[in-house]
Amino acid sequence: MSADTFFFVGASGLILGGLYALMATGLAVVWTTLGVFNFAHGAFLALGAYVAWQVSDGSGGPATFLLAACVSAAVLFCLGYVSHFALVKPFERKKNMVLLSVITTLAAAAIIENAILLIWGPRDKQVPAAVEGSFELFGSALRYQDILALVTALAALVVLATFLRRTATGRSMRAVAQNREAAELMGLRTSHLFALTIGISTAMAALAGVFIGSLRFMNPSFGADPLMKSLIVVILGGVARFTSPIAAAFVVGLAEAFSTFFLGLYWSPAVLFGMMIAVLVVKPEGLFSRRTKTL
Amino acid sequence: MKYDPPFHHTNGFWPIILVLAGLIALPWMQTDTYVRHVLILALVYAVVASNWDLSLGYGGIVNFAHLAFFAIGLYTYGISAKILGVDPWLAIILGAAVALIFAALLSIPILRLEGVYIILVTVAATQLLARIIVSQSDFTGGTSGMVLLPRLTIGDFKLSSNGRIGYYYCALALLVASTAFLYGIERSAIGRAIKALHDNKYYAISRGVSEARIRLYTLCLSAIFPALAGGFYGSYVRVASPDVFGLGFLTIILSILLVGGIATIWGSLIAAFAVTIFTEALADFGAWRDIAVAVVIIAVVVVYPGGLHAVLQECWGAFDRIKCGAIARFRRHWQAERRAMLCGAPDRLVETSFGRISVFDHGAGAQAIVMLHGNSSCKEAFYRQYAVFCQRYRVVSFDYPGHGVSPNGNPETAYALDAFARILGELVVKLDLGRPIVFGWSLGGYVALEYAARGYPLSGLAICGTSPIGKFPDDMPRAYIPTPSMELTAKRFHSPYEKNQYALHTAGTDPAIDPMIRAAVWRTDGQAREQFFNRLKTIDWPRQMRVLCESEVPFAMLNGRKDPFVNNDYCKTLPYANIWRGAPYDFAEGDHAPFLSCPEAFNTAFGEFVDGVTAHGGRFA
Repeated sequence: MSADTFFFVGASGLILGGLYALMATGLAVVWTTLGVFNFAHGAFLALGAYVAWQVSDGSGGPATFLLAACVSAAVLFCLGYVSHFALVKPFERKKNMVLLSVITTLAAAAIIENAILLIWGPRDKQVPAAVEGSFELFGSALRYQDILALVTALAALVVLATFLRRTATGRSMRAVAQNREAAELMGLRTSHLFALTIGISTAMAALAGVFIGSLRFMNPSFGADPLMKSLIVVILGGVARFTSPIAAAFVVGLAEAFSTFFLGLYWSPAVLFGMMIAVLVVKPEGLFSRRTKTL
Repeated sequence: MKYDPPFHHTNGFWPIILVLAGLIALPWMQTDTYVRHVLILALVYAVVASNWDLSLGYGGIVNFAHLAFFAIGLYTYGISAKILGVDPWLAIILGAAVALIFAALLSIPILRLEGVYIILVTVAATQLLARIIVSQSDFTGGTSGMVLLPRLTIGDFKLSSNGRIGYYYCALALLVASTAFLYGIERSAIGRAIKALHDNKYYAISRGVSEARIRLYTLCLSAIFPALAGGFYGSYVRVASPDVFGLGFLTIILSILLVGGIATIWGSLIAAFAVTIFTEALADFGAWRDIAVAVVIIAVVVVYPGGLHAVLQECWGAFDRIKCGAIARFRRHWQAERRAMLCGAPDRLVETSFGRISVFDHGAGAQAIVMLHGNSSCKEAFYRQYAVFCQRYRVVSFDYPGHGVSPNGNPETAYALDAFARILGELVVKLDLGRPIVFGWSLGGYVALEYAARGYPLSGLAICGTSPIGKFPDDMPRAYIPTPSMELTAKRFHSPYEKNQYALHTAGTDPAIDPMIRAAVWRTDGQAREQFFNRLKTIDWPRQMRVLCESEVPFAMLNGRKDPFVNNDYCKTLPYANIWRGAPYDFAEGDHAPFLSCPEAFNTAFGEFVDGVTAHGGRFA
């Protein structure tokens, strides 16, 4: 394997990792705060991409792309906020809440997928890129859009981390995640904060969706694959710290890129799932975690 | 000891036989191939969904790889029957074997996991399987799947001929086998272990249930029939496509499970037909159909988590209550004369704050004796005493709400021990009974004790077939002999067989006893049994014990030595303060109701006690 190919595969792995980090962090935030695994995350991602496609209306360029991404994130934020009250809140005190929320989010995924199918039809689409073209680095061609995706993903994660650590709202969200009863006693509006958490998570899914939709083709069910990948990321990394799913996302991205290169497109999922099951058997709390559940 | 009636003794027996007969006869009424196609699909879906209940409902193992078992059955059938040329029937069996291996492998990673991790692993394993199947397009046809799989034949008879009649009966046979299998599992030791782990994991483990082994069994047992159904489905539609891994199929099966109600086999069977017919009716609406199914899922989970099974239970409960209310009304009007002849005087309705109560009030004398009947019985149970005691005393007895010929009471308030005691308190004032001697039998014994504990006027207290309880529920296992029939005491819906059993165990087997007494079980409102038992924990039991052991109330305990429920040895250990004859008195030939089975001995003993109370001031100690 030449240095050029190694660099190219590594770079595409990093870009994948950035997008997975964006999605997986959204999943992890909801999981640690509400104790809910959101199976509609992939459908939200797809919906975000389609909203962006609708807004950009066939024309590319930085301004349109920025507008499309912002509108998509805003719409999905509102949708996520509302979905808390429909999908999670009715049974948040029940013993088998994990199962019930999995069922309702799966059903929500089916609703969103079919709604996309009804509105935009089954044909493949692509969100127009912000910047066309590519450049040469160490002998391999990298698209500007790829770099933009990686940079935006990292920037969004930094913004989210700062939000959670430095602002009053962010700190209340962490408080609710760490000890719900105590947070309620302090007068925090838990259901508002829970809904906010889901809203932020779906907005991040939308952002990831916009980029995935601009790098590949999209169809109504294209969210399933990123969902599975971020599921693997969350299990591999654990959710003990904010950075653990991010680190795991890059591991998964690189592993996917290299296994696709060496073993072929069809076997790379098997490698990833194998990794995941091995981690679950050996270290169920995740590679980058200790046995705690905080944000 | 667990009460576990065989199937032909339960309430479900005749409905199931009727439904099965209906399903067998159905294809002769519906000759249309499309209708039969929908029915076959419903039968197959019912098999898949009801087996999912074993892991998801009973076991609480959130196995989202269940549809992978179906897919394995389907693809094993496709590959072995079409490519390897195995006999189609054998190929279906082979699918179950492969699914068993997959289930065993799958259980290894999830043995140590909990909750959401099990969901994640099983989802991931399913996806992994889907990717592998899609990637091996030489064998599996890739994303477009395999087509023209071999048909099933018996000899030269094609199962698809004659309007798919063969496939219909084959699917029905599969469903019957699967349901019998599930029913057997649920009642077996493994089934109890599965449920125990779900209900209280650590207690079950401490009692020697191996969690890992039971999880392995649960997954493997729930894999067999979905795989058979998958193979059968492959032979029927003759296509094996990766759609079975998709969200659409998952939501249909999941909606069957949820609409039917989790942790019941029968619910998913009913729901399979409802959901399949619903989805087929909406088949022309494409994406709208899937949205509708998903909305139904959310609506059921959020609004009515019990599903159809809970609806049926509720309807049955309402019907049962109306039925026993009607029986009471009928007997009140049409059997009044018979009751008057049996007891020596007619009864009448008296208004209390818990509703109207049917009261028997007869006899001469200043001293009143109140007799309180037991659970699911009636005031006529004491007919062999009325004739004797009415000559010298005023004898009063009444039917509790929901019992005998009293109307049904409000289940929220009227069905409790303390409610019964307060009814007696009201009657004492209303009928001007002064300071009565209260005799209680079984449940009535607790009512009598509660009456005394509440400080109502009283000059003597006698109980029979009742073990005084100081600490609830800790004393219960010592106070009573554990027998399977005990469970009937608190059971809401008795089957006819169980009603008979309960009547025989409480009122005795003597054929000379008036049939009216045993017939009281048929009238009793099942909610009365269920509610009074549920509320036992709200009773102040130590207060009742203090009446017996610390107060000077004259007290007699008149038990039968052959009582199938009461532990007489326990009753003798309690330090009674003022007990007649210095100790609990046993009738050698008496059972749970000695006043019915050996009336002469009982009347003599009870008469002596009453004399002791009235004539000698009631100092026994």
